[in-house]
Amino acid sequence: MTRRERLTRKILGAATLCAAALPLSILIFMVVLARPLFSSFSVTDLLTGTWEPLQGRYGILPMMTASLLLALASLAVAFPVSLGCAGLIFGLAPPVVTVPLRRLVQLMTGFPTVVYGFVGVFVLVPAVRDLFQAGSGRCLLSALVPLSLMITPTMTLFFSDAFAAVPRPILLAATASGADPVQRFVWVVIPSARRGLAAGMVLSFGRAVGDTLIALMLAGNAARMPSGFLESSRTLTAHVALVIAADFQSLEFASIFVCGMVLYVLTSCAALCAWRMRAAAERYSG
Amino acid sequence: MDPVIKIRVEELTFRYGTRTVLRDVNAVFFEGALTAVVGPSGRGKSTFLMALNRLWEEVPGADARGRVWVRLDGNERLVSDPSFPVTELRRRVAMVFQVPNPLPMSIFKNVAFPLKVMGLRDKAVAAEVVEDALRRAFLWDEVKDRLREDARLLSGGQQQRLCIARALAAQPDVLLLDEPTSSLDARAAGIIEELLLTLKGRCTLVVVSHYLEQVERLADQVYEVADETLQLVS
Repeated sequence: MTRRERLTRKILGAATLCAAALPLSILIFMVVLARPLFSSFSVTDLLTGTWEPLQGRYGILPMMTASLLLALASLAVAFPVSLGCAGLIFGLAPPVVTVPLRRLVQLMTGFPTVVYGFVGVFVLVPAVRDLFQAGSGRCLLSALVPLSLMITPTMTLFFSDAFAAVPRPILLAATASGADPVQRFVWVVIPSARRGLAAGMVLSFGRAVGDTLIALMLAGNAARMPSGFLESSRTLTAHVALVIAADFQSLEFASIFVCGMVLYVLTSCAALCAWRMRAAAERYSG
Repeated sequence: MDPVIKIRVEELTFRYGTRTVLRDVNAVFFEGALTAVVGPSGRGKSTFLMALNRLWEEVPGADARGRVWVRLDGNERLVSDPSFPVTELRRRVAMVFQVPNPLPMSIFKNVAFPLKVMGLRDKAVAAEVVEDALRRAFLWDEVKDRLREDARLLSGGQQQRLCIARALAAQPDVLLLDEPTSSLDARAAGIIEELLLTLKGRCTLVVVSHYLEQVERLADQVYEVADETLQLVS
């Protein structure tokens, strides 16, 4: 190995180390900043209590519930739509449709969320208010629709990748057995791609749970336990965005780092799950 | 009595993009006979098989011109006729590939797959057909106690016989086999050869092969691919 190669290797190694240390240091940073809360409250208090800062209660259970509810519901709405779109892109539709559809989906992944938020504020919120007589119209349902729309393109692309990874000999076997494209898709392609589909779901869940703007603009932000989709609710991310303006020394401010940790753990778990499933999917098809 | 012509190929030309693989091929295949197609690799033997059941349409960039007729239920039918559903054609002109390609499901479901595709819902009938197909493919005794197992756990030779059973399940008139023994060891290949001899008569077989000894043992008629066309050798 020449001197130059050794140097390059050291620089790249240091860069890798930095990249790996960064997420870890963020976690440590959050623990340190949340410390004032931990001296007077237990973790259970914080994770299962209600949010009443004037009474000295800093529990984030309502926000956790709203976040999970919203993310899971948007996943449920986006799943069938994404499966259908990815199916069309996979070849159920003629190429005239497939190519523009794929481009459109790719384009949609790049839309800033604030655009969805705006459309929600001016179109969806009034509609929900009039249709369901639901107070201001800002509620989980108003956030659910654009959030589902936002994660659909991402999910569609993950699903398309999963379908594209189905080995060709299997497709030929199904076709040669007389299966038409729909039968082949439903009975062979979807089952073969199920691990990839699951990985796509998990990653989209991470995206939904991490989104801030849509929930902040549309969900109403009431910091209480959501009892239905027409209730004004506050997600973890919206909570962080709202409380960040509080006094730096206050316990409210410290509590947003607890939210941060919960989000951190949730999205890391999602990413780890997806990673493991993808690895399994690769072993399985290879 | 003259032998009945099962498949008639007229002026078949086949291209991949701008490269012509086969030009003006004319050939006939007799009912119940085993016809071998031989020749060096990469000269269009497999392509020729795919022209017979229109599987080439699944290959990007492929283009076939010409006419292929198959005699089904006493009538000659043009395979490219728009009123002749390609799914029905592929059930009646079934195919076995060079590398065994079991579907990612159980042994039973693999063999029952063509039945499911045809819309057969009666489980008892399906079980009967599956057993019959597995017996005809010399596989029943080896798998009868493990029908629910994943088909990919079988050995290579067993997988290939499973694929033959799957092709037989839809009661095809014609069975196309693309070098069915080339990925197998001698013993497994021997079993498949024996199996092909028993299928002769009930089914019209077209076998692509590059083992000349195998061809001599099995074939009633031999075509050789040369100079972009098919020539009758014996």
